Amino acid sequence: MVDKLEAVSDLPPSSWNPSAEPPAPVVTVIQSTQGQVALKLAELWRFRELLFFLVWRDVKVRYKQTLLGASWAILQPLATMIIFTVIFGRLAKLPSDGVPYPVFALAALVPWTFFANALGQATNSLVGSANLITKVYFPRLIIPTASILAGLVDFAISFAFLVCAYIYYGIVPSARVLTLPLFLLLALVFSFGFGFWLSALNVKYRDVRHVVPFITQIGLYATPVAYPSSLLGPKWQLLYAINPMVGVVEGVRWALFGTNTLTLPMIAMSSATALIMFFIGLVYFRSTEREFADLV
Amino acid sequence: MSDAIQVRNLSKTFKRYPPRKHRTLKEAVLNGEIFRSSTEAKFIEALRDVNFSVPAGTTFGIVGRNGAGKSTLLKILCGIHKPTTGSIAVGGRLALLSLGLGFHGEFSGRENIFINGLVLGLTPRQLRARFDEIVAFAELEEFIDAPMRTYSSGMQMRLAFSVAINIAPDILLVDEILAVGDQAFSRKCIDSLNDFKRRGGTILLVTHDLATVRGWCDQALWLDHGTVTAIGRPEDVLAQYDDSFAEVPATV
Ligand SMILES: Nc1ncnc2c1ncn2[C@@H]1O[C@H](COP(=O)(O)OP(=O)(O)OP(=O)(O)O)[C@@H](O)[C@H]1O
Ligand SMILES: [Mg+2]
Repeated sequence: MVDKLEAVSDLPPSSWNPSAEPPAPVVTVIQSTQGQVALKLAELWRFRELLFFLVWRDVKVRYKQTLLGASWAILQPLATMIIFTVIFGRLAKLPSDGVPYPVFALAALVPWTFFANALGQATNSLVGSANLITKVYFPRLIIPTASILAGLVDFAISFAFLVCAYIYYGIVPSARVLTLPLFLLLALVFSFGFGFWLSALNVKYRDVRHVVPFITQIGLYATPVAYPSSLLGPKWQLLYAINPMVGVVEGVRWALFGTNTLTLPMIAMSSATALIMFFIGLVYFRSTEREFADLV
Repeated sequence: MSDAIQVRNLSKTFKRYPPRKHRTLKEAVLNGEIFRSSTEAKFIEALRDVNFSVPAGTTFGIVGRNGAGKSTLLKILCGIHKPTTGSIAVGGRLALLSLGLGFHGEFSGRENIFINGLVLGLTPRQLRARFDEIVAFAELEEFIDAPMRTYSSGMQMRLAFSVAINIAPDILLVDEILAVGDQAFSRKCIDSLNDFKRRGGTILLVTHDLATVRGWCDQALWLDHGTVTAIGRPEDVLAQYDDSFAEVPATV
């Protein structure tokens, strides 16, 4: 089978087919490849069934008590919306670009809640799967990816709730709503990048998960969730949009309500930082994953 | 004869930050160690320049004291830990049988079978086709939907063994698992391992039961503090290993 150490590939399993003749064994060579970062996306694809299974399993657990699971997805943004409406809408009388304040806040809270939960879940995901990581090999990236994707079900439910509020306030959509998926994609890309990075960091420094709620708490106010970004002068808006969630939130409002606070440079800036974060997260994850099993 | 496994100059060093395995962000920031490596790190050489190869279709025994690096070696062969230096080559699909396999405590037995099957390279279709066989072999029909954390170690081992043997790997790595089952199941395991050998499978066996090594293995290796101390015919290796215990008089 192995006669010489030649081919350098990274890792099992071969595509094995029991009905066929005994397959020619695949030679797997593992060398110490310190400092070498390969993104290995093909390997990820080979394990897609495992990814689907983990997502499905995660969703199943969250919705075991169906009613509770679904209502939690609505309750989280709803409760914040009510608080914001009372404090910022009524008491502080913040402007809301001519949109009724409750639905104005809710449109931002729905993607924001997805993002905040994605970070929280991803950060704990690797450490929470220590049993699996120390006992079998598979691409580790699957774990945070699955935990983020599972949050999309919560997102869908809370989004349905947003649609109800939208209809309740009698807002009529324009053709712009067709661009909504793009802004959600932006949120997803940023969540993946940030989530990969935090999950890997949390293996090394076990207190990272205590820092994350702090990040999302501050992030909530650094993002135009409770207020419109038009409140900031035009000079600052580009700097502001370095936070990709600014692009997401203003983009969603632009698509749903026809507000005009999203400029092209802003969305370009947000997209750029989201992509950079995605790349940094992926590379950091890949360069540290060889140590996960040792540390977790 | 061709080799199923080749290990060349393999070394593995673990890093620890006593008293824990890892640091906290707080410590790292306070000590200014974010960008340079920590001074507190302790290095544990679990394996040191290990060389050996296992011909395909043979059974290879590994003995050594607790902490000698046996489990670490098997895990490196599976790709779980990465070598610090050196390289390994594995010809074929391999399954590691250690306590717990890749079991997730909160997942049910059924879900764990799926995860492990997928990880070991089966498609969902193949898995569904074999599912009943796996459960029947493990004799766990009643418990299959209970969370894994409610299983006894014997039950976990049954499931692990059943998954590993039923996905038909080319190489089986067995880490200290045969001792956990009851007599009836041990017999069953031994029968199916014999079957596996007859079909040309390669077995790497880590055990403290020297009689098994003597009776079963074509070759043996004694690992001591991460280094290969003896390798060759089981009788010779075991004789040396036995002698090492004689040097220290037992004082109980
Ligand atoms: N993840 C880890 N981090 C740090 N040290 C580790 C890690 N895993 C193993 N070690 C150390 O490596 C050494 C070898 O451990 P290993 O589990 O391979 O021993 P073993 O030969 O299987 O022992 P036993 O017979 O008790 O099963 C031990 O000193 C152990 O403490
Ligand atoms: Mg061991």
